[in-house]
Amino acid sequence: MNLGLEAFAHLDSPFHRWAPKHKLVGLTVLIFAFSFVRDLHLLPAMLAVTFILYAVSRLPLSFLLARLRYPGFFLLALALLLPFLSGQTVILRLGPLALRQEGCLDLLLIVVKFVSILTLSLVLFGSAPFLSTIKAMQGLGLPSILADMTLLSYRYLYEVGDDLHKMETAMGLRGFRARRPSRRTLGVLAALAGSLLVRSYERSERIYKAMVLRGFGAGVRPAPHSRERSQAHVHDYLALGGALFVAAGFLAAQILL
Amino acid sequence: MHIPDGILPAAVCAAGYATTGAATWVSLRKINQQADPRAGIPKASLLTSAFFVASWIHVPVPPTSAHLVLNGLLGATLGYYAFPAILIGLFFQAVMFQHGGLTTLGVNATMMGVPALLSYYIFRLRGLVDQENRVWTAVFGFVAGAVGLGVAALIAMVLLITTIPAHLDVEAERASIYALTTAHVPLMLIEGLFTALVVLFLQRVKPELLEQG
Repeated sequence: MNLGLEAFAHLDSPFHRWAPKHKLVGLTVLIFAFSFVRDLHLLPAMLAVTFILYAVSRLPLSFLLARLRYPGFFLLALALLLPFLSGQTVILRLGPLALRQEGCLDLLLIVVKFVSILTLSLVLFGSAPFLSTIKAMQGLGLPSILADMTLLSYRYLYEVGDDLHKMETAMGLRGFRARRPSRRTLGVLAALAGSLLVRSYERSERIYKAMVLRGFGAGVRPAPHSRERSQAHVHDYLALGGALFVAAGFLAAQILL
Repeated sequence: MHIPDGILPAAVCAAGYATTGAATWVSLRKINQQADPRAGIPKASLLTSAFFVASWIHVPVPPTSAHLVLNGLLGATLGYYAFPAILIGLFFQAVMFQHGGLTTLGVNATMMGVPALLSYYIFRLRGLVDQENRVWTAVFGFVAGAVGLGVAALIAMVLLITTIPAHLDVEAERASIYALTTAHVPLMLIEGLFTALVVLFLQRVKPELLEQG
């Protein structure tokens, strides 16, 4: 199982060089500014900003497209419902169905905002190793319990996923097929989920002992990684200023228009 | 049942983050009151991964199959770690699988996490009767699982229908909320049954997993 989020975290682009903490603040503010927009006139500007930022990040287009596929189903469902249900102004009649203007415009707004926000969050999380992003969040005030839990669960997600895969294969080899929702099927699947929990629980006990042996809980913070930059440079602040300026522009335009 | 980016108004997203912040603060405070708060971290983290992975298990519901939400079970086994676990799980869903979203993370965490805490309190009630009794464990497990999903579905439907199509009339809105919530009743039963079976399994195999709280 490869989750692939970090596949392009080591490219060289202005986004990859941007200090994680500044990048996190800048792009998050921009993402929220986008979610604030409700005026249709701002959508071309939003798409343009998103497109430029994605191009600058040098992440491949296939990375974005592969990740748009899954949520695409949800958008498709909306596209089939909203234009026919929402609004009064009918622009086209197809038998019993009436295509309504308000519904179409609602749909346009939702789709553009959705694609823009998703693209920006990919730029944010795809252009740095996950560890640096979480460390940046911790530097910005994320409680250490949450940060530790996030990193540990991320670390073991792949292995627990492999566990499930192995158990499902073993069940399949022994003739189990989940076809009908019978008492037996549900019991077997519950035992599968239960085993997954028990295995992870037992593994966590071993991990905890290993962590204590290495000083976990003693209040000692590990030394920063040698390659990591501790100091922010002028260009980090300039880029942050730029992002905040664009975000403020969208907010102001939405309020004034 | 994750609400994606771009649908909810910014005010609702902000309100979601506010309630998530409050619920996280309460949970962390309760965790920090435990004798050794750091000792629970590896356990809660690994179970977070396990729950994340377990939600990929598909249960056949003709004519299709449904994946389970498991937030009731999460509450029953993780106690106050359930809210942070759900927050982290949804964060992974949003950044790795584009399921849900960053701006709606607060809303989604509230929608799934608050019912999980509710399920935790419900499941803890079995201490009032007989904790070792398998029938009571199954009954409270069922209610915890069904309520966990039911409340989450109700919150999701109300949010979606009252915020998305701004041009629907009130009557139609109310009717669709009732219809969609009723459609979730079979899923609630399956979720409750599944939760009951898993807690019975855990009680037999690893009872200390149910001793949270």
